[in-house]
Amino acid sequence: MVNRSEIMIEAKDLVYHYPGEEEPSSPALSGINLAVNRGEYLALLGPNGSGKTTLMKLFNALLAPSEGEVRVEGISTIDEGRITEIRRYCGMIFQNPDNQLVATTVEEDIAFGLENLALPPAEIRKRVIDVARLLGLEHLLLQPPHLLSGGEKQRVAIAGVLAMRPHCILMDEPTAMLDPAGRRDVLKTVQGLNREQGIAVVHVTHFPEEAVFADRVIILNQGRLVRQGPPENVLSDLPLLHSFGLQGNAVVELAALLREDGFDLPPQLIHSRELVHYLCLSERKS
Amino acid sequence: MSRSITLGQYFPGRSLIHRMNPRLKILSLLVVLALLFSLQTYPGLAGLLVIVLAMITTTRVPFRYFLKGLRPIFYIALFALVIYFFFTSGGVVLLRVGFITVESEGVREGIFVILRLVTLVLFSLLLTLTTTPLSLTYGLGYFLRPLRYIGLPTEEVAMIMAIALRFIPTLMEESQRLMRAQVSRGADFETGSIFRRAKSLVPLIVPLFVSAFRRADELALAMEARGYRIGALRTRMHEDTIAPRDWAVLAVVVAMLVASLTLGL
Amino acid sequence: MFIGTEKLTHTYMPGTPFANEALKEVTFQLKKGEIALVIGPSGSGKSTLIQHLNGLLKPTSGQVLFEGRTVGSDKAELLKLRKRIGLVFQMPEEQFFSETVYDEVAFAPRNLGFAENEVQTSVTGALQEVGLDPDALLDRHPFQLSSGQKRLVALAAVLSFKPEVLILDEPTAGLDSFSRANLFNLLAVLNRNTGLTILICTHHLDEAAALAETVFVLKQGRLVLNGPTSEIFSKREQLHKLGLGLPAVTEIMYWLAEEGLDVRTDIYTLEGARQEINKLKGRQEK
Repeated sequence: MVNRSEIMIEAKDLVYHYPGEEEPSSPALSGINLAVNRGEYLALLGPNGSGKTTLMKLFNALLAPSEGEVRVEGISTIDEGRITEIRRYCGMIFQNPDNQLVATTVEEDIAFGLENLALPPAEIRKRVIDVARLLGLEHLLLQPPHLLSGGEKQRVAIAGVLAMRPHCILMDEPTAMLDPAGRRDVLKTVQGLNREQGIAVVHVTHFPEEAVFADRVIILNQGRLVRQGPPENVLSDLPLLHSFGLQGNAVVELAALLREDGFDLPPQLIHSRELVHYLCLSERKS
Repeated sequence: MSRSITLGQYFPGRSLIHRMNPRLKILSLLVVLALLFSLQTYPGLAGLLVIVLAMITTTRVPFRYFLKGLRPIFYIALFALVIYFFFTSGGVVLLRVGFITVESEGVREGIFVILRLVTLVLFSLLLTLTTTPLSLTYGLGYFLRPLRYIGLPTEEVAMIMAIALRFIPTLMEESQRLMRAQVSRGADFETGSIFRRAKSLVPLIVPLFVSAFRRADELALAMEARGYRIGALRTRMHEDTIAPRDWAVLAVVVAMLVASLTLGL
Repeated sequence: MFIGTEKLTHTYMPGTPFANEALKEVTFQLKKGEIALVIGPSGSGKSTLIQHLNGLLKPTSGQVLFEGRTVGSDKAELLKLRKRIGLVFQMPEEQFFSETVYDEVAFAPRNLGFAENEVQTSVTGALQEVGLDPDALLDRHPFQLSSGQKRLVALAAVLSFKPEVLILDEPTAGLDSFSRANLFNLLAVLNRNTGLTILICTHHLDEAAALAETVFVLKQGRLVLNGPTSEIFSKREQLHKLGLGLPAVTEIMYWLAEEGLDVRTDIYTLEGARQEINKLKGRQEK
């Protein structure tokens, strides 16, 4: 049913200057041409200050392009009258879980976006319960957010977005402040939503190991899109990653060292099991 | 660490009183207060005290919470008692020490006033212990609605109050953390002259402000990203519906007030 | 024993329904000059524990020991303790309040009674120790630095009073991979050159595991595992059950071993893995 070729978000010749920094030499973003396809999992990698967050805000109509345009489901983000519609299609999760939960209880927080859409109360309650059940948050519905763990807070934030039935979830370093268990929970939740519900995901991160499961990886540096492609192509390109101050994941780094030592490993290894597989193979061969 | 901070006095529960509409709860409390001050006789007051105690048991909120709530009025009560004992005359003289006398009328009135005060506090606690701070805020906000006609954005004010409730624990936790962090860097917030102490707060207040502004900024973005727009029509998840039994409660307390006034209880 | 605790218990809000036992009879000790890790899921009591080591909390029961003596609650004594044990909080740059880097780094030495000329040398010394250039930074506004630099200045602000023990809570939270590697490297150098005793709470085992001699594992306020690094990371199952992972390289070594390859699993660095895997080749050739 999901048409994978269909475009959900489209940026054309996008340029963005922060107000007050309008010298043409150093825009926060420039010359961005990018399409997010329906149902796609897109990982966005880049060092601190490369413009990743700015791009997310442009996708969500929190910022308006200085030049070029962004369209979400065909709607231009400068169309003031349809901004709420854009935000319904495109939910956003921020880095700091503390600063995006608005209400004093989990259920009211999940309901917040629906209240903004002015849905009937009965419909809101139904959706809140459905979403909480889907994400396993039912037991927390009456808790105040400040008593939750970081991973739980992020999942509540995801629930709040999910309740609005978005076509796409934008995530700005959602795991940066979480412990490993919280990180796993959040990633699993999002991957599940992407696979089972066909919700497109744009995931900003500076952990290459989080980008491994994406359909496509994009690298931003100094406001420019410098590389895009399937994860096995982009994430295995160590010289490129290093040149932008990024490290490869452990598998890629280790594979590179082993190749130097004469191990015969294919060039696009990014998963542990692949590396283990090839090492065993070469061991057995001899 | 965050678990060390709780806000308001709300004690979770599902009793009838917990579930009562907050607006009518507030209104009923007002009527009860009026009733309390109209009551002039011990039987009337005793009746009300029994009622409030009965209501307390139905909420399943442990009684020590009410006792804790009563603690602040202990000294007021003691003071009132002294005043009434020594300065109200009438009835039989019970005690005479030098020129001070305690007469039975004073004792009767003193105890009456204290019982009235205790009942009053118990009823108020019944409201605050069974209503979430948020519902209380919205309930009070409702009564402020007429102010919209003189240009006050009451919906937005209610939202601001709700957000404040949400963030007070977070900011308290943060200030605690900052305080400890600066103490570990040798800061001293406790000794010295007032001037010195005020100056020593700079390392606490500056970062607290910086963080509060950053939070406000991020929160505003997050709210906007979820479709919040100032002035736009919103609905509420929990409709502010008033069940027939809520009206019944209000009717009962009004009837009690009328009865007390007409019967002179 | 240099520093440690004896049956340390801490309860927040004792005697209320919100009472929460954050630490339960924790007994541990740190040797002089070692680097140790405290790991555990969020909410396991790590932050509470290290605040005790700085005398910032009062034990509900049990005690904190320093050089074999119980740490009392006397103010002068606590100040002396804090002078010898430096604590770097999570996101320490959030404590900045000064208008210059100099004042920020000088705050602690001034509070701890250094003479002004001593303050000056200790500030420049501390900045050099963390690899920053004092001449370029001293007059800068701390808020204007990059996120990596801010973190280093915050570290210098503690090193400036020359503590004998350095305790860090999630020192790399929110940093990108480049700054992360840099910081851990710096800690290793400090330990090697000055014999500084270091205790680190962290989720980032990939970089930290290789530094540590000892690992302490906390779960729900209890010290559940405690021992030399290689011993702790050999309890893979148990760590997984606790929601904790192994360093990514170690995990790869385990997979190889499970496939029947003859490799050691107590490997925590890429270089170590490289050597170990190269040994395989050597064996084959023989």
